[in-house]
Amino acid sequence: MKRPPPPVHIEVDHDRCVGNGMCLTFAPGVFAHNARRQSEVVDPEGDALEDILVAAENCPTAAISVIDAATGESYEV
Amino acid sequence: MRPRPAAPPTLTEDLFAPEVVADPYSYFGALREIEPVHWNERFALWLVTGYDELVWILRHHELFSSAVIRNGAGPPYPPVDPQDLPLFDEIRDFRADQLVEQDRPEHLRQRSVVHGYFTPKAMEKWRPFVRAAVAELLDDIRPRGAMDVLTDLAAPLPVRIIAEMMGVPYEDRDHLRALADGILYINRGEPYRLRPLAAAVRGIVDYAAPLVEERIDRPGPDFISVLAEGELRDVFTRHQVLVNTGLLLFAGHETTMNLICNGLLALIRHPDQWERLRADPAGMARLATEECLRYDPPVKSTQRIAAEDVEIAGRRIEKGDRLRWIMAAANRDPRVFSDPGSFDIGRQPNPHVSFGSGIHYCLGATLARIEGQEVFRGLAERFSRLELAADRIEYQPSLQFRSVKSLPVRWWV
Repeated sequence: MKRPPPPVHIEVDHDRCVGNGMCLTFAPGVFAHNARRQSEVVDPEGDALEDILVAAENCPTAAISVIDAATGESYEV
Repeated sequence: MRPRPAAPPTLTEDLFAPEVVADPYSYFGALREIEPVHWNERFALWLVTGYDELVWILRHHELFSSAVIRNGAGPPYPPVDPQDLPLFDEIRDFRADQLVEQDRPEHLRQRSVVHGYFTPKAMEKWRPFVRAAVAELLDDIRPRGAMDVLTDLAAPLPVRIIAEMMGVPYEDRDHLRALADGILYINRGEPYRLRPLAAAVRGIVDYAAPLVEERIDRPGPDFISVLAEGELRDVFTRHQVLVNTGLLLFAGHETTMNLICNGLLALIRHPDQWERLRADPAGMARLATEECLRYDPPVKSTQRIAAEDVEIAGRRIEKGDRLRWIMAAANRDPRVFSDPGSFDIGRQPNPHVSFGSGIHYCLGATLARIEGQEVFRGLAERFSRLELAADRIEYQPSLQFRSVKSLPVRWWV
């Protein structure tokens, strides 16, 4: 049973995103590709936090940051 | 066959012309400004030199297949000794089973097995090992006053790291390097090249087969165990495990060699940038490596085959057409990079395409970056000034790789 996500802020750095698409594989409820095939956050609560963190860790260019909305601190990925 | 657009009259169509091999930037740069998507009649393929066009193609993997070896038409070029032609089929069967040759959905299944091994976080754990290997090599070389960067530094370093990733014993490294050197004949021009290449391909299979057997029974933290796990989960066949072990050896070897040689050559030829790196080696190494990757990339170009009819930049590409996309030209597209011909180690942002883009983005990109950063940093920390010890630098006649034949440098001890 996956716990519901705490309020997090997710950012994709489009200077770094190369459209590898791994984030869409691990957290398909959160990430989608835009017209340039770069990742966008479509629903920050679309997947469990664990999956969001796995998606961020598997980004080959480390373009995704996950920030705790309450504390403003970044999750270590 | 429909008529193709005529070639620009002023440019040669011979992609192996000595002046194109020596200076791909002038040739492909001129082509980019005339026609970012250009039909080369002589080689019967599209040349993609514009940045936006190249990125668009790589991000539309459903339109452009990566199975170029399996579906590649025609005999080997440049020609090979006719009696070696049976070897061509053997090598093609080997290469066609590589991860890089797969399309979705198979590609995603296979990449998902190995992707986690290469994440930025996982690779960062290798930095101390890379730094120590660089230090050992450079401290050994330094008293000599001269080296061939290619054979003394750029070739031994990646093999040492890959051997460690494969989890093979120290005493095997010379053998591994001999196999890696044989694999370098991929995409070269020598008419006899298929023989050393086939020997290396068989050598890799012979070498890796008992290792795979062992790791299936007793998995460890190494990369072969990751592939073996993929076999246990029915993602890889045994042949694919062996082939992809060879792919790791090859993909991590020549490309890293070129990054080190081409990057150091650029630094030597731009003394102001070398001084900038020397002033803060640890701080500048990351951006400097990105600029080395952009300015003179290890891989000049690679290929796709159109999976559908598609129009791009006013050109109609037909299903089955071959495309060669030239990272070396896109990296100097003035629509994306200001003053693209200048070597600026502080350039930021630097969205070069030297690792490709899209779903096939180089799996080893972070490792290559770490190796480049540690080498350039290590050099800048130890050498005040390096000088070229050759009048001119010659390159292998390859369309794919930007590989020096040697890079002699000297210094005062």
